[in-house]
Amino acid sequence: MSLHADVSATFSADGADSFHVDAEIEVERGESLVILGPSGSGKTLLLETVAGFHRHDGPVTLDGARVSDTDPENRDFGFVFQDYALFPHMTVRENVDFGSRYHDDTRDPDDLLAELGVSGLTDRYPPTLSGGEKQRVALARALAVRPKVMLLDEPLAALDVPTRQALRDDLADVLADATAVYVTHNRTTARALADRLVIMNDGGVVQSGTPEEIFHRPESPMVARFTGSNVIDLDDAPSIRSVLDVSGDDVVTLRPEAVEFGSEGDVRARVDRVVREDATNRVTFAVDGITVDAFADDAPAVGDEVWLTLPEDEIHVCRPTVAPSA
Amino acid sequence: MDGVGRVSLAVAFVVIQGLAFAGAYTIGRSTWYAFFMIGSTAATAYLLRRDSFVVAAATMGSILMVALGLPLFMFVARQQPSIVVEKALSSDVHRMLYLGVYGPLLAAIVSLLFGIPLAHLFSEGFAGQQLVESLVDLPLVVPHSVAGILILFGFGQGGAFPNVTVLGSMIGMVLAMTFVSAPYAVNATREAFESIDDRLEYASRIHGANRWDTFRRVTAPLAIRGMITGGVLAWARAVSEFGAVAVVAYSVSFFYPPSGGEVTTQHAPVFVYGTYLQGGLAESGAVAFILLCVSALIFLIIRYLTTDSTTTGGVV
Repeated sequence: MSLHADVSATFSADGADSFHVDAEIEVERGESLVILGPSGSGKTLLLETVAGFHRHDGPVTLDGARVSDTDPENRDFGFVFQDYALFPHMTVRENVDFGSRYHDDTRDPDDLLAELGVSGLTDRYPPTLSGGEKQRVALARALAVRPKVMLLDEPLAALDVPTRQALRDDLADVLADATAVYVTHNRTTARALADRLVIMNDGGVVQSGTPEEIFHRPESPMVARFTGSNVIDLDDAPSIRSVLDVSGDDVVTLRPEAVEFGSEGDVRARVDRVVREDATNRVTFAVDGITVDAFADDAPAVGDEVWLTLPEDEIHVCRPTVAPSA
Repeated sequence: MDGVGRVSLAVAFVVIQGLAFAGAYTIGRSTWYAFFMIGSTAATAYLLRRDSFVVAAATMGSILMVALGLPLFMFVARQQPSIVVEKALSSDVHRMLYLGVYGPLLAAIVSLLFGIPLAHLFSEGFAGQQLVESLVDLPLVVPHSVAGILILFGFGQGGAFPNVTVLGSMIGMVLAMTFVSAPYAVNATREAFESIDDRLEYASRIHGANRWDTFRRVTAPLAIRGMITGGVLAWARAVSEFGAVAVVAYSVSFFYPPSGGEVTTQHAPVFVYGTYLQGGLAESGAVAFILLCVSALIFLIIRYLTTDSTTTGGVV
């Protein structure tokens, strides 16, 4: 199944300015599209609009057939919510079996729950479950109706780190052959699950492409920063400009994992900060008036003077301004 | 303090209050009890919390409790058992009680039947909602005798439905009761709908249920506590309604099953008022006492039947 949506919708809440979402996404059969963006960028509203929860302009098509004029129940989507949205007055089994009376071909709730490792919960009620268990049940409920497209709204965001990692692995298996749109603000999750990525900001799409393209060739400083790249304004870093073969543009990006340091290199820098991150360290170097991040298993001491090596082939020149496509 | 300790303390407090009232009433010094109630509350608050703010709040609150509770205690204590028994055995009182429970029940059902859809619309929001909400809440601020007049103008002689008899009929009485009690049913139900997270309904819709099924399987079960609360409030408000009913249907003819035919009586508050005018305070007090007991009993039964029967509408 392929999904194409080119939707526009305006949302307003009491006491707040209206918010406009205007975005186009396309997902091919068997592909996982991840929508990545900061909080408030409109990615959840976009997903809910595609699902049919909000009035909108513009078409939503499934395999070429227009579904934008149909109600949510007739769009053949499954939806996993960030806060689970399990029916609190139904048992786990009743939750998973909820859609069976509306679909001819559904999966057995017990099989699904066993597949997702929560077979012992069938007669329990959602308020008695842990966050990870609730999200597995919510996933089972969505999968039970054999949806043509799975829509997932930050399903890992409310979970603790170990549970999130375990469920992310399971999601990767579940979504391997599924057509899915997955919303997240977590770039690690996005990179792990995406076949293709869409970056959203201010209600519009600012860049789309493969994870490799987006992470290594961001089209704007906003995308670069959000995906964790160093954003270097060469006007503020003359010593870096002097060693790069860059002309015209003023902003370049560089992945922190590409930055090397030692007693020799291109640019002199001082260790400004070292932060432990799981198995490695994020080291922040001060160069001229800016900072450059790198990763290092063996962390230098704060205040050390080192030389940075900035690989020319990893340097990407990007536009200095953000221009949403909306 | 654990749960058992709290219950024990509450029981001890109530027993002491009861004994103090009984003693003060017996020696003809009920005023003393009023001061005892305020003083004992302040002392208890000081012993438990030793916090001047709590003591001040408890003391001020106890003054209100005197205003609310003392008349009730005096009312119960001053009943003459022989008159209460006589009234309890009276067929007129039986008819009044039947009408006083049955009429409000019909009004509560009507309020819920048409109020639940309106409450659901309110919870979703629509253009002109404030205007409609104002109309629904209007009976809360209109003097109820005025409400009765409004009903007579709208549906009485020369009104919108000339073939329907409103004056002195069961229909008129239920209309008058519905007019004053519907806001309670609508508002309580709307609050219940508003407490349900939108995503629960989204989850229902996206997995196949249409709007009707979503309401039946998800929204209504999660809002049932609010609906019952709204119904009980509407019923209670209708039971206590005097002004509108006195204007529209002072005396009501209705089918009374024990007699197998039509009888005529008054709605309970009107009946109590009529008894007061004709028989004085003692007789009307006895009727009011019986009505109070029946109402409290029904209220307790409903509370018992609905406790722990529902869950909340939040996302879990």
